[in-house]
Amino acid sequence: MIFKGKKPIQIKNLRLTTKLVTTYTLLTVLPMALLGFIAYWQYTKSIEEEVGEYIPRLVKQVNGNIENDIQKLETLPDLIYNSGDVMAILRDSQSKKKSVLLHDEYIMKSYLTRTYLNNNSSHILGAFLISKNRTFASTSLHYDSFGFEDGSLPYADDLGLLGEMQLLLPNQTNLTFEGDPSYFMLVKPITDFDNRKNLGTLYIAIDVAFFEQSLQDLQKEENVTMWIMNKRGKIIYHKDHSKIGSVEKGIHDYPLLNGSFRTEIDGKRNLISISESNELPWVLVHSMPIKNMTEKTDVIRNVTIFVFILFTLITTLISIFFAWTVTRPLNELGDIMKRVEKGDLLVDIPIHSKDEVGMLANSFRSMLAEIRELIQKNYHIELRKKTAELYALQSQINPHFMYNTLETIGMAVEEGDSDEVVKMVTLLGRMMRFSISNKESLVPINSEVQHIEDYLSIQQFRFEDRLHFMIEKGADVVNYYIPKFVLQPIVENSIKYGLEKRKEIDIQIHISDEETQTGEEDLLLIVSDDGPGITESKLIELNEKLRLDPMMKRDSGFGIINVNARIGMMFGEQYNLQINSEYGKGTSVIIRLPKINAQQVSMYVQGEEKNRDDTKGQDGHCR
Amino acid sequence: MLRMPISFILFLFILSGCDHSSEYEIIYNDEESIDVTTKPVEDKKDTYTIAVIPKIDGIPYFKAVEEGALEAGKDLGVKVIYTGPPTPSSEKQEEIITKLIEKKVDVIAVSANDPYKLGRVLQKAKRKGIKVITWDSDTNASYRSFFVNMIDPEIIGRHVMDTLAIEMEEKGEFAIMTGSPTAANLNTWIDWIQIQQKEYYPTMKLVEVEYTNEDIHKAYKVTQNLFKKYPDLKGIIGISTVNPPAAAQAVKDAGKIGKIAVVGTSTPNLMNEYLQEGAAQTITLWSPQKLGYLTVSLAKNLLIDEFPYDGQNIKNIGRIKFNGDIVIMGEPIDFTKGNVNQYDF
Repeated sequence: MIFKGKKPIQIKNLRLTTKLVTTYTLLTVLPMALLGFIAYWQYTKSIEEEVGEYIPRLVKQVNGNIENDIQKLETLPDLIYNSGDVMAILRDSQSKKKSVLLHDEYIMKSYLTRTYLNNNSSHILGAFLISKNRTFASTSLHYDSFGFEDGSLPYADDLGLLGEMQLLLPNQTNLTFEGDPSYFMLVKPITDFDNRKNLGTLYIAIDVAFFEQSLQDLQKEENVTMWIMNKRGKIIYHKDHSKIGSVEKGIHDYPLLNGSFRTEIDGKRNLISISESNELPWVLVHSMPIKNMTEKTDVIRNVTIFVFILFTLITTLISIFFAWTVTRPLNELGDIMKRVEKGDLLVDIPIHSKDEVGMLANSFRSMLAEIRELIQKNYHIELRKKTAELYALQSQINPHFMYNTLETIGMAVEEGDSDEVVKMVTLLGRMMRFSISNKESLVPINSEVQHIEDYLSIQQFRFEDRLHFMIEKGADVVNYYIPKFVLQPIVENSIKYGLEKRKEIDIQIHISDEETQTGEEDLLLIVSDDGPGITESKLIELNEKLRLDPMMKRDSGFGIINVNARIGMMFGEQYNLQINSEYGKGTSVIIRLPKINAQQVSMYVQGEEKNRDDTKGQDGHCR
Repeated sequence: MLRMPISFILFLFILSGCDHSSEYEIIYNDEESIDVTTKPVEDKKDTYTIAVIPKIDGIPYFKAVEEGALEAGKDLGVKVIYTGPPTPSSEKQEEIITKLIEKKVDVIAVSANDPYKLGRVLQKAKRKGIKVITWDSDTNASYRSFFVNMIDPEIIGRHVMDTLAIEMEEKGEFAIMTGSPTAANLNTWIDWIQIQQKEYYPTMKLVEVEYTNEDIHKAYKVTQNLFKKYPDLKGIIGISTVNPPAAAQAVKDAGKIGKIAVVGTSTPNLMNEYLQEGAAQTITLWSPQKLGYLTVSLAKNLLIDEFPYDGQNIKNIGRIKFNGDIVIMGEPIDFTKGNVNQYDF
């Protein structure tokens, strides 16, 4: 979506919440609205069409019914022919006595009453029969001024004939009934078919309610107007009785006389249904505001809109909730990350869901743990290493050792034993160089062995016959590497404890390889002595200590543990230091190491290079 | 952003809003359903000519028929030619019909003196495209479209027998006087008269059926002969309208009023005097004008391809019966001393 505004909104820059809520809205509200609207629109349209087809049919049917009713009325006059008395009176026009005339009148009146007023059609207000200057009348209501002369039909109106009858509207006659009901009149000449003569004229006044009985069902509805008019628009019957007799001019513009059409009446849209009568010269019209039809649909529409709004609210709430459930952990995660960024690695991540965010949190959590572990590990390794180095440095410049060595050299000088002096100084020098050049933490076995040999040799000068040692190289010592200063602390221990309690000590160092169960080859460095040994309880304690987490803080002066920790940290836990001892008999320390050749060295040394940079310059002048 | 869908929906609302097109918008058209037959049928010709041929010209009955036929012609706007033979002979009728065929009339409506002899000429008329109907007295059904009968022959036959039986107290000898021996309608009535007598009146006896050939003078003589021939004669049935007045006159002249009952079919005007005097008791007939009027009406309808149907309401006539072949105009009227003044034909 591109807005040609000042600030084009770029979707990718929107907040996730906004995106999600918008997406939800578009995906739910829009289709719902469209669907609802289209459905409603189609529905009203189909209702309009259905009603527009249905009402004309009804109107047509009603028209047919009216036609039948009128035809029934039309046949009523024919009943006259079945009444001999009546025919006799009508045929006989000779002047008679008053009593006979009145008797005739009585017969006629009772006949008219029987035939028309007591008939099922209760809408007949009265029947008048004019014959040879005699008027016979029977009405259900009092009437006034019936002014027709014999046979003189009022001006032949274009209302036309209903079959053999003429139709008169109230405004064409002077006749009024009590209560002034609207009526129409059917006029039928009575012909003596046998004598082929006119016998008179029969007028039947019918209440317009006659139409209403047929129309009432259709007219019941509000605002529905129905009327009957002839094809020139003269209204024969109208729901509004005052309009009877007026002319509806619109009829000439009607597009059809059978069916239905929409038009505007007084600015309101109306459905006009119209049906032309088959037998009678009129059309029946049914006019109804379109609103009537759509009233029901309006309810549906309102309900739909209400439901739509409800749904919209619900879906919006749901979408907001969902968006929130998605973004909240993300935000949380973001906050946590910010804290981590600031250096707080000990944060708790309270997200445990199984979704992507949860996975992300999990990854982050394990990453953090990893980082923490690594930091700690490196920290500790570094610490150990530093300690080890410190120790090694301490060893290499151990004042005691130096003092003792120098003292020994001094004594040798005094004795004039120059060979020994040269040897010792050489050894000391070599040791110094080895110590100083601690650039690599891994050195060929050879160098380490050389170093320990130098150390032992110097100590031998000092202790003379009290110290014996032997180094046995049962493995390739040139091409394999081991950490620096792994042997020295062990050997120191042996000498320290051994010579404290014994007169002599014999130290044996074996270097060999051993095939493990997995088929790899390990390096074994075994330092054994015949010193006083370690008590069993002490040994257990020691080995326990060795097995413990190498990261634990402990007495750093304790060299063996330090070495063990370093090995463990460097190569993993399967590589370690093992102490076997028999009290009073001696001790052997087994260092198990992986076989590392020159190519593999870098794998283990990588992380340490940086730490070494500051020491680089120091070894230059020692060579 | 969120305003987009809303404005879109609004746009749709506006777009699809009520389309006020023309002033009248047809929703449903039912014009075809209008029954075509009710539309005024255009007459194929300006004026039709309908020829009505009675059995015989000049007797009051057929004069009354002529009145009705001409009245209908005037009402319906058709030309009616009413012409009949001086005697009730089918040969004469044939001549008349031949001339009418030459005149190219549209319908020939004949009251046949013989059911078979007119066959040839009527079929010729049919070949020329002239429609043929019969009235009053029928021909063989194959010669005409339909027959306009004034009454059901069974009803009138049985009824006339009853009226005589009432007067003769259901016993004694009686005679029948009829028109020509070949008049189909009269012969059928005679059959029904006899059937009724055999069924219900075993003590009555039909002694003679006389033919008077629609001649009132001959009828008078025949009646006198019957008196001589059958001194115990108690009743006379005159069918064919000239017979009852002749019989009644003869009864009156012979001073036998009250002794010999006269019933039958004749017109009220012919019988008025005799009924008042008691020379005749009950006369049965229909309105001949009505028959003339109906014949012309149905002939006109036939020209616009409208066949009669049962219960059809014919203007100025009323409802008719139709069984697919024969139209029956209505019920017979009895004229007695009491009501004969009401009628004028």
